[in-house]
Amino acid sequence: MERNRQDETLGSWFKIRIPFGIKYDEKWLLNLIQKQCSVPFTPVEFHYEKMQAQFFVENANIAFALKNVNGKIYNEANERISIFVDPCDAPHSVLKELRSEKVEQIKLPVKEQYDASQQSLDIQRVRSDPDLMTPDTGMARNPRNDMATSLQIHPGNMPKVKSAGEMDKGERLEPEGMCADRNPLCTTFPDMSTNISSILELFPKLLTLDDQETSALAKCGIEACKRLPTCKGSYFGSDELKSLVLQFLKQYYLIHDYGDRQVLAGAYHEEACFSLTIPFHPEDPAPSSLCEYFKDSRNMKKLKDPHLRVQLLKHTKRVIVHTLCVLPKTQHDFSSFVVDTWFQTETMLCFSVSGVFKEVEGSSQGCVRAFTRTFIATPAGYASLCILNDELFVRDADPSETQSVFFIPLSAPTSSSMHPLSQQQQDIMQASSTPSEMNR
Amino acid sequence: MRRSSSKSSQGDRGKHQGGSGDNAYEQPHTSHERQESRTRRDSENPAEQAAGTTPMARPMDFKIYVDQACKAAEEFVNIYYETMDKRRQALTRLYLDKATLVWNGNVVTGLEALTKFFDMLPSSEFQVNMLDCQPVHEQATQAQATVLVVTSGTVKFDGNRQHYFNQNFLLTAQSTADNIVWKIASDCFRFQDWESS
Repeated sequence: MERNRQDETLGSWFKIRIPFGIKYDEKWLLNLIQKQCSVPFTPVEFHYEKMQAQFFVENANIAFALKNVNGKIYNEANERISIFVDPCDAPHSVLKELRSEKVEQIKLPVKEQYDASQQSLDIQRVRSDPDLMTPDTGMARNPRNDMATSLQIHPGNMPKVKSAGEMDKGERLEPEGMCADRNPLCTTFPDMSTNISSILELFPKLLTLDDQETSALAKCGIEACKRLPTCKGSYFGSDELKSLVLQFLKQYYLIHDYGDRQVLAGAYHEEACFSLTIPFHPEDPAPSSLCEYFKDSRNMKKLKDPHLRVQLLKHTKRVIVHTLCVLPKTQHDFSSFVVDTWFQTETMLCFSVSGVFKEVEGSSQGCVRAFTRTFIATPAGYASLCILNDELFVRDADPSETQSVFFIPLSAPTSSSMHPLSQQQQDIMQASSTPSEMNR
Repeated sequence: MRRSSSKSSQGDRGKHQGGSGDNAYEQPHTSHERQESRTRRDSENPAEQAAGTTPMARPMDFKIYVDQACKAAEEFVNIYYETMDKRRQALTRLYLDKATLVWNGNVVTGLEALTKFFDMLPSSEFQVNMLDCQPVHEQATQAQATVLVVTSGTVKFDGNRQHYFNQNFLLTAQSTADNIVWKIASDCFRFQDWESS
């Protein structure tokens, strides 16, 4: 019989091995794997073999999904648990159940071919054995299939390719070993010869040629199986930090957009630093858009003069505030803000905010820009922050970014780390207070 | 401390690294002048200003810290992205033991977790088209020499489409007998279009 998709009753079987799995309770381990596995699986013949935990699954898609679990599960000591997946013959119990008659029929002649003195299975003799070649057993005339099938239908003869031994912790073996030492299924059958061993080393590739399902799995190298982690929204670390940072940003941009930017002086340390960059594309070194930011851009990919690099780093509160005052007038879209609070100590808070803003005046009026601004601040007084480092990156927004609804939800700040709000600012806040959408 | 003649002498206390506690850096008069001249000559090439048309009151310490930060940032960024792309398994050597990474909102803490994380990420091809850096003020760092590095560009992870990314690093100096080694204390990475990734 041909081992391929035509033979529905046998299906595609895969052996799942977990090194050091003997440490883990069966139920716990299977639960853990199932949690990470994108499809439900039914483990067949779960058992411990030496230090490994092993079981079988039927179906290449399931095997593929289990292969993806590798590296994503951890034990209680937070050590990574590895999962290895290899194509294999149907497990003993399944075969026994489904094909007991046929197996016996085919097994017998092969056994007879076995040359005890040489401890080898004579492939030539297998092939020429008339019993094996009869249409009854459904074996194809393809000699390669003969070898594969004659070997696969002898679960008890799972040949030893090499002594799998134990893998070093964290070390990854190529899927070669099919049968560990003293596999209980192998006990009654001694070693096969090296020519069979070498065939079996090619076994996964033989299968891929015959079976498209398994070839997808075999062709999937380690690289292609890797997935990017799911991207998530703003990260704050704690509710207190979230509240502090959002409050700060609201106040900052309220003043920045609607008030006198001189007022922002209250937010900066006396010796703060500020710098501004725009992207550098060698093919378009002086873009006409972003021209108002161009002269201040300190992009070190373009700017090589060490002297200029010092000059363009705005140093001291006064210099910074002046720089901010001459930058274009803007309207930031709070609903677009994504914030990462990425480092915190007692004396330092680092957070970055990305989003979009519109220029509301001047030659670029109406242009929508995207920005990422990184602040390093230190606590200052009650619930307020003092900026030590401020880096602003501005680029043109993608069309997809400009399509978002453009409104600025505002809410009254509970504490002011800057100047008390002017009447104008208060009026603006009252006029446009809608719930904040910064909780993504 | 030597000063160039075009610059006025002021206090030489560097506030951005290892200075003592008192705020000696106060030059209201000079700053005021600078501000005025900037107002008059907004579009002027900053290099002209530096050449001495405006009395710049920068302590030499600050310039040194900026130079050091720039040098560290440039060297570091070259090594980092090359290692990320071509020798991924060595990447965690660039991180402190207790370093943290926030990757598109996912938090990874400590070398072991970082190792697993970078091992799991598909292979990458980074292209950096923006680099900026600043020395971090000592008030935040408790006199531990630290540089803020900001990058932006594109990245293609194997099996995924290309993304624009923004990344920030906090680099901390670790002194050895011969030189300073900069290591990552914290790393923040985001696709610009993470919502549609």
